[in-house]
Amino acid sequence: MKRLLATAMTAALAVGGVTGAATASGFKLDGDPKPAMIIFSQKNDGGWSQALDEARQKLETSLDMRIPVVENIPENATSIRPAVELFIDRGHNIILGSAFGYSDTFKELAEKYPNVLFLNPAGITNGDNLKSYYGRTYESQYLCGMAAGAISKTGKLGFVAANPFGLVNWTVNAYALGAQAVNPDATVTAIYTGAWNDPVKERAAAEALVEQGVDVIGQHVDTPTPQIVAKEKGIHGTGHHRDLSEFSDATQCSSVWVWDRFLGPEIEKIAAGEFEPAPYGAFLSIAEGGTDIACCGDAVSEADKAKIMEARQAILDGKHVFAGPLNDRDGTERVAAGAVLGDGDLWNMDWFVDGVITQQ
Amino acid sequence: MTDFLINWIANIPGFAVPFALAALGLIITEKSGVLNLGAEGFMLMGAMAGAGAVIVMGGYPLLALVIAAAAAATLALVFATLTIGLRVNQVISGLLMVFLAQGLTSLIATQQGWTNKAFTGLGKLPLGPLKDIPVVGPILFNQDLIVYLTVPIFFIAAYVLTRTHVGLRLRAVGENPEAADAAGVNITLYRLAAVIIGAALVGLAGGYLTVVVAKIWVDGMAGGRGWIAIALVIFARWHPWRALAGALLFGCVEALIPRVAAAGIGVPQYFMLMLPYAVTLGVMVWTSLARSGASSEPSALGQPYVREERH
Repeated sequence: MKRLLATAMTAALAVGGVTGAATASGFKLDGDPKPAMIIFSQKNDGGWSQALDEARQKLETSLDMRIPVVENIPENATSIRPAVELFIDRGHNIILGSAFGYSDTFKELAEKYPNVLFLNPAGITNGDNLKSYYGRTYESQYLCGMAAGAISKTGKLGFVAANPFGLVNWTVNAYALGAQAVNPDATVTAIYTGAWNDPVKERAAAEALVEQGVDVIGQHVDTPTPQIVAKEKGIHGTGHHRDLSEFSDATQCSSVWVWDRFLGPEIEKIAAGEFEPAPYGAFLSIAEGGTDIACCGDAVSEADKAKIMEARQAILDGKHVFAGPLNDRDGTERVAAGAVLGDGDLWNMDWFVDGVITQQ
Repeated sequence: MTDFLINWIANIPGFAVPFALAALGLIITEKSGVLNLGAEGFMLMGAMAGAGAVIVMGGYPLLALVIAAAAAATLALVFATLTIGLRVNQVISGLLMVFLAQGLTSLIATQQGWTNKAFTGLGKLPLGPLKDIPVVGPILFNQDLIVYLTVPIFFIAAYVLTRTHVGLRLRAVGENPEAADAAGVNITLYRLAAVIIGAALVGLAGGYLTVVVAKIWVDGMAGGRGWIAIALVIFARWHPWRALAGALLFGCVEALIPRVAAAGIGVPQYFMLMLPYAVTLGVMVWTSLARSGASSEPSALGQPYVREERH
């Protein structure tokens, strides 16, 4: 979807991972925090939007407040503006978005309503009372890659991906690196469907992968179709967005959004008058509440599970998935020994590590 | 390499069937002079209804496909009322159907909890020992029932359209409704039947997408295939067999794309993602250059019929 494409572009601007100095903007809410959420698609889409809605429900409990939600607000100004203004008229002062396509309208509204705070996932605009955020999905996909590498008997993994750009490419690369941490000979064959939400193409891709002999299928698309194919074919899979074992018991590990872990403390900070603007938005690690893993299924042995949890702890402690020395599959050095890949390079990632089989 | 070719060719019919059935449905409708741009909407309706039926009934995929066709036909009653009854502009009415179906399918599926729910759909129907014949077996004799049925459906449709009185009258209604009316043909009845039958076939194509192919429903999952069917009809110049050939061409491309990628063949992926659209474009250009050949575009296509109105 457009929302993600532009996240990539956004961050292309955020060269080198410059992060904003942690200074409070002096933003003050009028009264108590009253958040409301606006979702661009239907909220029970089984993936991205549902993860946001689930975070909203958890926040209602943890913050002990009602957070209303409105769904199916398309990504254009004429739809977004009235929805937001209706909430503001009703006294809501924290507006939670859901899409890249909200970026420009939120920027405009944030300037019009300086006393309202806007938070938008996968957005690309930021300001004194507007912050975009996205997760470092390569961390969780690395861990699921480990699970995939551990259960694969052939060492041949498949991956069904949406569109070929930075934030999808980094999940493919991280998946391969994770698998190779367990099985150095593991390969990942990735197919890009060119669509986020097309189960027909996803099934075609997954079946073509099975014909090539893969025995675990990972994914970065919006529907659980690849997991369902894995189940039908008697092999395993790993999911994205949410815990896809709900759809298919073939699913052994999922990279899941945990937005409530970010939004909860963020709303509390806002309420305390300590909101910190970030010129390039928030790029959240597992520790900060971007993604985490739902792991593991029965096919992963206890020993392997322990290894995965150990690696998760290492990432929490600061280990970077794309740490040098790291070459791409053509032999070009991408990260020097002792260095890690910068955020700008991540968003612009257009290369693949050794062991990834995909078209250029 | 042999395996690659067999896997590829064996997968072509499954990709071609939705295009073929939808294009055939559109041809039948348009032969009567009613332009149906709502294919994407009728396909969505069929896809959603088929998925919902399987989920609710807990199986019976063939019955679900019938329900898919019936649901699209029901929606087509609205389209028929607009275009034939009220003589509303057919282009606008068709586009309206697309938007109506997008909203309606999303609403119903959400309310009923059918979205993103996996189910067991219609499986393959291997034809006994025939499927074990090397090469030919997996390609021709290990398909699903709808693939087998598509061939007789085309025979029947082509026969009725060109070799029977009913077909002759239908074509007369689409070519010259005044003359047909003068000859005693019931224009409204023929157009109504053509719209309903056509939409049922497009709905069946949609049902095929969910019940046979994806075995899951997600919002908007027709994914533009209805529009491609409309392009196919123009490419086929309203001839059923040419439409089938066009559908197979699309099936070839769609079945090839993931297999080339999975085999790690070094074709640029953007080229592959572009391929179906490039083929559509090429086909349209070729058709318009080859205009000299016989096109059977109905002369009265898109024109509402008002008795005694002078043109």
